[in-house]
Amino acid sequence: MAAFEAFLDDGGIVEVDDDMPAEYRQAVFAFIEMHANSELMGGLTERDWIPRTPGLRHKMSVLAKTQDEIGHGHLLYMVAADMQIKTREEMLEDLFAGKSRFHNVFHYQAVTWGDQVAIAFLVDAAALASQQAVFKNCSYGPYRRILKRIISEEGFHMRLGEDRMMRIAQGTDTQKEIFQGALDRWFWPALQLFGPDSKPDDVLLRWHIKSERNEVLRDKWVQKFVPMLQSYGFTVPAPDLSYDEEAGKWDVGPIDWEPLKRTLAQGGPDSARRINEAKDNWERTRWVRDAMDRAAAVPA
Amino acid sequence: MHTYEIFLKKDGRDEYRHAGALDAATDDLAMVMARESYIRRAEGDRLWLVRRDHVIVADPDLIAPNADKPHRHHDGSAVAARRKALRNEGASS
Repeated sequence: MAAFEAFLDDGGIVEVDDDMPAEYRQAVFAFIEMHANSELMGGLTERDWIPRTPGLRHKMSVLAKTQDEIGHGHLLYMVAADMQIKTREEMLEDLFAGKSRFHNVFHYQAVTWGDQVAIAFLVDAAALASQQAVFKNCSYGPYRRILKRIISEEGFHMRLGEDRMMRIAQGTDTQKEIFQGALDRWFWPALQLFGPDSKPDDVLLRWHIKSERNEVLRDKWVQKFVPMLQSYGFTVPAPDLSYDEEAGKWDVGPIDWEPLKRTLAQGGPDSARRINEAKDNWERTRWVRDAMDRAAAVPA
Repeated sequence: MHTYEIFLKKDGRDEYRHAGALDAATDDLAMVMARESYIRRAEGDRLWLVRRDHVIVADPDLIAPNADKPHRHHDGSAVAARRKALRNEGASS
C-alpha cells in the first residue's frame, strides 16, 4: 500500500487492468456507483418535467438535459462495472431495492417549475463544483476521462439554470413568490450535497479521488451563491445568516445534518416514491432492452 | 497480412494515444514489430494493438445531425449581459 500511495502522490493514474489494493478498488467503486445512481435518479426527475415545462425553448432544453443525465448514468455504470465488483444489473437491483445510495437532493420532490429552476441552478452548481474537484486530481483514469465530458455538460445545465432564474426574477410577483418558495425548499439540500466536514483520515482525499475537503467546497458555494441570490432580489432561507465585514465572508450559521442522514438511509421525504418510480421505469422499458439485445439475431 | 493500429501509454499518467500503424502476418509478430518500431526508447510502458479491420468507422452522415442541435448548448449571454450591467451600475454609483 505504501508503494501504491507513493505512486498516487506522484500523480500516478490507475487504469482498470492495473493491480490496485482491494481497499482502493472498493472505495473508488462505491464513489462511482453513487455518482452513477445519482445521474440516473436525476435524469428520471428531469424527464418528469418534459411535459410540464413551460415554453418550447425550455422544453427542448429539458429534453437535452434529460438525455445528458441518462447518458452520464450509462458512462458511469460502464466505468463502475469494469471494476468487477458488481455488474451493471447488480448495481441497478441494489438501487431499486434501496440498498445503495444516491445524492440527497434526489430524495426530495420538485413541486413547481420554480423547484426545477432552483435545482438546475443551486444543485447543479453544487454537483458541478464537487465533480470539478474530483476531476482536478483524480487518480482513477477511466473515471477522470468520463468526468471531463460530464463536467462540460453540467456547465450547460448550470448556465441554463441561471438563465431561467434571471427570467423568473424579472417576472411577475407570483413568479417571484414561486421561486422564493422553491429556494426555501432547495437551499439547504443543495448545501448539504457537499456533506459534513471531511474527516482527517478520509481515504478519498488520501488516494486522490477528491482533491478538496467538503467544507472548503461548501464554503466556496456559499460565498458565491448567497450574494448572487440576493442580487436577484431573493431571500436566502438561513435565519442566522451573517456577513463578516473583516473577512468579507458570508456565514449561513449552524447546519442541521439530520435531513442528510435521513436521505442516506433512504428516509427522505420523497425517497420511497422515487425509488419505486425508478424501478417501475426499469420494468416498463425492459422491452426496449430486450429488443436491442436480440438485434444480432435479426437479418440485416 | 493485417494492418495493426498502435496505441501507447506512458508513465502511468497519460491515456492511451494513437501512435501509428504497421503490417504483420500474425498478432505475435505485430507485437514484436511494434515493440521494435514504436517503443525502442521506452516511449511507452503500455502497448495496445488493434487490427484495423476490427475498427468500426462511423459514416459522417450518421454524426452530422448532432452539429445542428442548438438546444443542447447555452452560451449564457443573457446572464453575462446582466452581470456586466450590474458591474457598470456599481462603477457609476
